[in-house]
Amino acid sequence: MSTATMAALSDTLAWLAVLSYAVGAALFGFELAYRARWAGLAGMAVAVAGLGANAGAAVARGLAAHRVPWGNMYEYSVMVGVVTVSAFLVWVVRRREVRPLGVFVLLPAVLAIGIGALVLRTPAGPLVPALNSGWIKIHVAAAIIGSSVLCLAAIFSVLYLVKDHFERRAAGLRPPLVAGGARTADRVEVRQAIASYVEEEAEASDDQPLPARTVWDRMPSAKRLDDLAYRTTAFAFPIWTFAIIAGAIWAQSAWGRYWGWDPKETWSFITWVVFAAYLHARATAGWRGRGAAWIAVLGLVALLVNFYVVNIWVVGLHSYAGV
Amino acid sequence: MAVQTPESATRPGPGQPHQSLGLAVRQAWREFRSMRTALVLLFAIAAASILGSLFPQRGISPQRVAQYLADHPGVGPVLDRLGMFDVFGSAWFTAIYLALLTALTACLVPRARAFARLLRARPPRSGAALSRYRNTATFDSALPLEQALAVAGRVLRRRRFRVAVHGDSVAAEKGYLREAGSLLFHVSFLLLLVGLAYGKGWGYRGQVTLVEGETISNTRVNYDAFTPGRWYGPEQLPQFSLRLDDFSNSFWPSGQPREFASRLTAVDAEGRTQRQKVGVNRPMTVDGTRVFQSDYGYAPVVKVTLNRPGGKSTVPQDGPLLTLRDQPTEVSNGAVKLPMLDPQVGLDVTMFTGFRLTQGPDGRAEIGNDPRLVNPLLVVFPWRGDLHADQVQSVFTLDRTDLRPLADRPLLIPLGATKELPGGLGTVSFTGVRQYTVLTLARDPGVPIVLAAAVLILLGLLPSLYVTRRRVWVRAVPAGPGGLRIEAAGLALQGKTAFADEFRDLAAELGREVERSPRSGGRDILGSVDAGDEAPARSPSE
Repeated sequence: MSTATMAALSDTLAWLAVLSYAVGAALFGFELAYRARWAGLAGMAVAVAGLGANAGAAVARGLAAHRVPWGNMYEYSVMVGVVTVSAFLVWVVRRREVRPLGVFVLLPAVLAIGIGALVLRTPAGPLVPALNSGWIKIHVAAAIIGSSVLCLAAIFSVLYLVKDHFERRAAGLRPPLVAGGARTADRVEVRQAIASYVEEEAEASDDQPLPARTVWDRMPSAKRLDDLAYRTTAFAFPIWTFAIIAGAIWAQSAWGRYWGWDPKETWSFITWVVFAAYLHARATAGWRGRGAAWIAVLGLVALLVNFYVVNIWVVGLHSYAGV
Repeated sequence: MAVQTPESATRPGPGQPHQSLGLAVRQAWREFRSMRTALVLLFAIAAASILGSLFPQRGISPQRVAQYLADHPGVGPVLDRLGMFDVFGSAWFTAIYLALLTALTACLVPRARAFARLLRARPPRSGAALSRYRNTATFDSALPLEQALAVAGRVLRRRRFRVAVHGDSVAAEKGYLREAGSLLFHVSFLLLLVGLAYGKGWGYRGQVTLVEGETISNTRVNYDAFTPGRWYGPEQLPQFSLRLDDFSNSFWPSGQPREFASRLTAVDAEGRTQRQKVGVNRPMTVDGTRVFQSDYGYAPVVKVTLNRPGGKSTVPQDGPLLTLRDQPTEVSNGAVKLPMLDPQVGLDVTMFTGFRLTQGPDGRAEIGNDPRLVNPLLVVFPWRGDLHADQVQSVFTLDRTDLRPLADRPLLIPLGATKELPGGLGTVSFTGVRQYTVLTLARDPGVPIVLAAAVLILLGLLPSLYVTRRRVWVRAVPAGPGGLRIEAAGLALQGKTAFADEFRDLAAELGREVERSPRSGGRDILGSVDAGDEAPARSPSE
């Protein structure tokens, strides 16, 4: 097939993926709202089909441009879809209780590819000389995986915050159990002991679900969501760290300096610092739980700024990435 | 991980006032190295970086800073005073990261000491009855006590636990790599800073421009821009010469740039010759100095001959004229300044690489340019008046404030042609096209240290996130005639869910080894609080 047909095929497959993910999200949402197991299973099938189309779109694009399919913002967006949805499918296989979260994974994938295709699309073409290096395979791939999974982690933190709100309202618990006040070491220990006891109680009560009143009652417990958000962050954070290091090595060989506070570098650093703060906060009395989750929300904002705002509105060395 | 500080013993009780300054200082110090402070400083550094990305930075583009100052005469100077145009080199940014690193060191020292103590000490016996743990198992065994404990020790060692025997019980612990990794991760940031400071202080960066065929020596005067470190002087520049043998650039059929590279010859002080094609992403190293391809441009060879009174003629310009290339059209602009004439004359020179006239949609002719060097054409606009050549100005442009056009039509000079300047001033010839390259030369002796630090950061990060610390105790209690009841309990400080499975496995193996199957096992839901002295999973980096 000629490169032009390949490029056209890629575009068609990308829209097919958006469509499948949207249908899949609707099915998962239906399952969540009406406890229809068939809808969840159908959603899985549609999501798998969508992933096939999405991966096909990436491969066809790569064949059309004769290079890795992540050389500009549109292709990055398509790859974000591939990474988030496949990460989600792997989770569902390993932990079935994650499935109700499908709608919150597929909708961002729809948004990412949709915005990419409508706003950021550029025709398939070769790379500018600065991008023409073996490092694009390593640095950008790591950045795509790291940022996509960190996005998912932050979305889980948002879900945790909402679920936690409902749980607290249902239990009539007063939130400031561990916040403020005493600072000395032994009080911290007491607070931590109480906090861990409460956590275990919550975990124990998770086994006997109360009759569902809202959709949120059918979501995993706040503790599970918090745990999921943490594990996801812990998985992606080293990848993001590696992406930054690989980028620095590339910058050293392309521009003669490993770090120059270029806007993209700066925002990658900000994102890294915010998620580092999240990991620290989760191990700090008075911050774990909701405090940490709010930091993850800041991390999500930093990721979005880094991708959309910095690439489109800020002039920098990474601007050639192409809109 | 618990960090016992000596200060905590002398802390005043609640309600008791701080009587000495020393106590207050200690209190402040403890607060300073707490995780809370670290979080605040992390947020501060993130917020400061945002400022650095909002305002143009001198280190990245001084032109945009100048533009900003010109556009905002009111707030501009104030922002400048606050260091907003050099955020990452400002005193307050330095203060934040130094405070962060000081707090980091202050918290690392006690942690490292505690970790060293932990490594020297044997895994401690359980402070509580084993039945109170979340993960428990009990077996019967006919083995003698010592042998039963030896079997338990063997099973645990096989699973890479550190094992200690305390009388009738065995204590085992594993997952030390978590704290070791976390310490390595944090210490590596100090190393990173050392490498950064060393490279910045003892290195330099500069830019040189070389026309094809030209040779320059690596001395300060040949640099267009030169940024040395605090402890690096121009006299330290290694002695070598650099020659641009040939420059090549190519384009995709769409006109998009494909590649550009300089073929360079370097000759060092000992006369060793080094030839390399230096392209984007393909630097060259000469005597410890790295040479990077940055930019390029065109230098049309222009000869200007002026008719002077008395039938004589002078040639004020004969050679490559540096021009500034516009992207992506590849049309370049330059200027020839003739201040010796009265009135002064300036030539505005535009070079097309592939001049072409096309018919626009409305039928009018449109000027286009092929980025490839297929049809070079010079377009020369002569101007007359005052050049202001005594003032600091760009070599690429004319200051037109006091200039008037000398002719109403420009001179179009194809390659190899000569055209008359109006008014019998003289002639302009376009005799050839050469290209010039802009190279970045840099020396950063800190790079190996920074790279090592980055690798260590990653190596430390992985175990600090994924390894979990867990303890297992096995106790043998005499039960019945010649029999033993073997109790086992396990505790994980992190990853409790995964440990429940691991403990079940371990208990099953232990049961087989003591030749009895487990009598009961798994989780006891009622009243299962992790034993008191172990329960608080203290923050990993207080």
